Amino acid sequence: MAKLTQDDILKLAKLARLRLTETEINKLQGEIGEILEYVEVLQNVDIKGLMPTYQVTGLTNITRPDEVRDYGATPSDLLKNLPAREKNYIKTKRMIR
Amino acid sequence: MNNWPVIADIAKDVESGKVKAVDLVKEALKRIEDASEYKAVIANIKVRSLERAGYIDEQVRTGKKIGRLAGVPFIAKDNYLAFGADTTAASNILKGFDAPYQATAIEKLEAEGAILVAKANLDAFAHGSSTENSDYFTTLNPHDKTRVPGGSSGGSGAAVILGLVPFALGSDTGGSIRLPASFCGAVGMKPTYGLVSRSGVVAMASSLDCMGPLTSNVTDAGLILDVMSGRDPLDSTTIERDYISYTKLDIGLKGKIIGVIKEYMGDGLDGNIKANIQTAINNLETAGATIKEISLPSLPLALAVYYIICPAEVSSNLSRYDGQRYGYSAKDADTLDDSYELSREKGFGAEAKRRIMIGTYVLSSGYYDAYYNKAQTVRTKLINEFQAAFKEVDFLAGPTSPSTAFKIGENTSDPLKMYLTDIMTVAANLVGVPAISVPCGTSDGLPVGLQLMAPQQKDRDLLGLAKAFEDLNT
Amino acid sequence: MSSYKATIGIECHVQLKTATKLFAAVSNDARAAEPNTLISHICMGMPGSLPVLNGKVIELATKAAFALGTRPQAFSKFDRKHYFYPDLPKGYQISQFEQPIILGGHINTSVEGKPKRINLTRAHLEEDAGKSTHPEGANYSLVDLNRAGTPLIEIVSEPEMHSAAEAKAYAQELYLLMKYADVSDVDLYHGNMRFDVNVSVSKTEKLGTRTETKNLNSFRSVEKAIDYEIVRQSDLLDKGKEILQETRGWDDTKQKTYSQRSKEDSHDYRYFPDPDLPPIVIDEKFISVIENSMPQLPDELRRQFEKIGLDSSQAETLLYEPEISKFVVEISDSHGNKTAKTIANWVTGEIQHLVVDGKLDWQQVLTNSKSLVKLVSLVDGNLLSSTAAKEVLVDVLTTGSDPQAIAESKNLIQESDESALIMIIEQVISDNQKAAEDVRNGEIKVIGFLVGQVMKASQGKANPTIVQNLIKKLLGV
Repeated sequence: MAKLTQDDILKLAKLARLRLTETEINKLQGEIGEILEYVEVLQNVDIKGLMPTYQVTGLTNITRPDEVRDYGATPSDLLKNLPAREKNYIKTKRMIR
Repeated sequence: MNNWPVIADIAKDVESGKVKAVDLVKEALKRIEDASEYKAVIANIKVRSLERAGYIDEQVRTGKKIGRLAGVPFIAKDNYLAFGADTTAASNILKGFDAPYQATAIEKLEAEGAILVAKANLDAFAHGSSTENSDYFTTLNPHDKTRVPGGSSGGSGAAVILGLVPFALGSDTGGSIRLPASFCGAVGMKPTYGLVSRSGVVAMASSLDCMGPLTSNVTDAGLILDVMSGRDPLDSTTIERDYISYTKLDIGLKGKIIGVIKEYMGDGLDGNIKANIQTAINNLETAGATIKEISLPSLPLALAVYYIICPAEVSSNLSRYDGQRYGYSAKDADTLDDSYELSREKGFGAEAKRRIMIGTYVLSSGYYDAYYNKAQTVRTKLINEFQAAFKEVDFLAGPTSPSTAFKIGENTSDPLKMYLTDIMTVAANLVGVPAISVPCGTSDGLPVGLQLMAPQQKDRDLLGLAKAFEDLNT
Repeated sequence: MSSYKATIGIECHVQLKTATKLFAAVSNDARAAEPNTLISHICMGMPGSLPVLNGKVIELATKAAFALGTRPQAFSKFDRKHYFYPDLPKGYQISQFEQPIILGGHINTSVEGKPKRINLTRAHLEEDAGKSTHPEGANYSLVDLNRAGTPLIEIVSEPEMHSAAEAKAYAQELYLLMKYADVSDVDLYHGNMRFDVNVSVSKTEKLGTRTETKNLNSFRSVEKAIDYEIVRQSDLLDKGKEILQETRGWDDTKQKTYSQRSKEDSHDYRYFPDPDLPPIVIDEKFISVIENSMPQLPDELRRQFEKIGLDSSQAETLLYEPEISKFVVEISDSHGNKTAKTIANWVTGEIQHLVVDGKLDWQQVLTNSKSLVKLVSLVDGNLLSSTAAKEVLVDVLTTGSDPQAIAESKNLIQESDESALIMIIEQVISDNQKAAEDVRNGEIKVIGFLVGQVMKASQGKANPTIVQNLIKKLLGV
């Protein structure tokens, strides 16, 4: 796999909503490149006949009944950390619509 | 260092009225104050803890039963949501966050009468092996102030060894309970994945995160785990636990087969550490266990697997920190994208950004199969090797870490070098098995940790082995 | 322009009929709720919050599978779909990408009497996002997370429709299927069904660039948006311009589609299996229990209506009222097709008009079923003319009284006794010798006049059909 270009870093930063500084971009390019090189070792590992393991519990069908439950926290509790609000609404910058 | 009585005894004394919970809390808070130079704690919980202690003492006066942890003060890693102080995960992006609910683990402990007195320092979002990634400050190793306590539950490890409280809570995604236990000389248990609820703990890597205790002895670890564990309707990944109490640990060594992991005892291992581990193994053998050498050939791949899966899940779990509903929100933002990008840029530390970027990369279209899916499949390989190994042996053993506590700043300039600290601990998280680190002598005055592992759901057996080992040394 | 062939695919989000959300045990009914009151730490995407699956949706998805002509998948799981938007609290939506609960399936539609089968690609479970509003002239937006986490099933059709009419028929049939299978309330007014339409045009076999017009919430807007897009795209291509692959919205006031996104229309959602949710495994036992309990679906009811003798427009009208459809079928089972047909005619005629005008409600039909049957028997027994019956009908439904009593009180009972009628007829004939002569001479039309005179003489009580036959007999024609 090729090393990451500055453009690659910028695209990833955009996807991840991080406004990186010039210094950070350069630094990350090197660091991430180094880490990706380290994990490169997996490319040649033989995984024939094996399926990925996404969960180690082996659980299936974990559900709850279709009933309202009191979790304890009130809407007021849940909204108390809002950075910006208008009455009971979460206030954000204009969403382009 | 930790001169608290055994937890069961503390609780008995409080329930009998012999000791007042309020006095225990005051003692803990005083010790925290006195040890502040070690910076183990991010925030104290004075008001609520004294209130709860007062209430417990009052209940005792009227003859009510409290619980198995009556009046026992404890510290929780600051990624556990709790009342009484902010929950920050040692990150600027959660500075000032007032949790609207508590972690199930904490609710369970409080239901038995335990009292939370402070939040411990950690690597921000639990990303790290030394607490140097905390956005606030680095905790100092109680044995040597120029060295790290290990991470990411460094504050918890230091707190226990400094004797601030009888037990502390940590989280372990790639070794974050075991490593600080090893570096500080404490007992640190990562249980079977799913044994303890993750509800109310800031998620790092969801398929790897395990909650567990750090204590100064195995008996205490067993009791705390016994209280913390069990199916939680708020966490779909919790498993049914075995019903024999984790306080029944007199299992003994006779007939037990311990496999020493060949790949962890290679030529590159530090000579002192190797010697310590070898001595420990020899003692176990003398005491009745059978020792075998066992090979898990894919172990050298575990770190690479971990450093794909972990950042991937991290990048996803950290998406919610966007400055819109809680946490840090950039005031100088004009547009929505500004708000997102500036809040996350200023709020997250370097390591969080690093992991988010790597995670985003390995999940992005075009790379998903080669990285994420491939790593999850090599994970299967590891799981199969562990299963095969456990057909031959009951337990696995080796060092917890390739080194003892390193100097502050020694590994911070090279992220990869820091990642290599986890080389012996990540496999247990990938496979989901329980793993414990117990003190195993010192090397140049610094604690060495012996890591023991057992098959999934054999947590009690593992604690039993650890207890037997501990008894050999006392 | 008319040489362009349109190709249309529809993705429909249907809100599942549950009491609580998909992953949080919070009420699902946001219709009358104040903003941000039906929320939990899970709905807010708080640190440490974890999803727990609402078991009811497995049952509803299985019912949906049967309604869509297929069976549920034995194994399915949840995936995370990542993008940043204030109405998406976790920064990802929990959906099903790789292994959805339904694969394949089809819907049988009918356009202008011609049957057409539209195949489906898949259907999957996913959580809804919150609602955002954008106050006029303000530089901010407001987010309400009451709706965040509401369970949806997203049904994806193959791109097999080629006109707005076909698309509308598809949408309508999907509506009925989800309603009859009891999967959703399908309350269009409250956005229980939202349609995204993918439209492209081409002169060749190769499909053109498609646009996606999102969040249409009525059959009319589905039809109009598609018609608009077909024209817009054809016009552009005729002018030699390119079609931008983009997301569009529908402006109902201006009756146009408009562009919604700019550059980054291709999203990298970075799907991966959600580690917080164990997969769903459905066994045969569960599937057969649901299969055996499935209610009658529209196509089955259409066949029954046909047997009863109803025309397709009547059938479609009835289908929009499942309780009434069921009722009509029950009547035919217990009292035969003729009675059912008469009642169905009243339902799709008089009664429907009155319901639409707000003078009656459907519940009144159901509670008065015995009286309706009796009313039919009065007509069949020639005691009431069909016109008189309609008059009695309204009173039966509004007062709940016995139809015969009502008819008598209104003096509507017909005289059908032949001997009594003959007496009146003979009198009329003798009073109208010229008319009678005209009839005998072949002017059959004049019988109407004579019948009218008999009706007058009997104060409207004579049975006109019988009167006519008797007149013919007496005059020898």
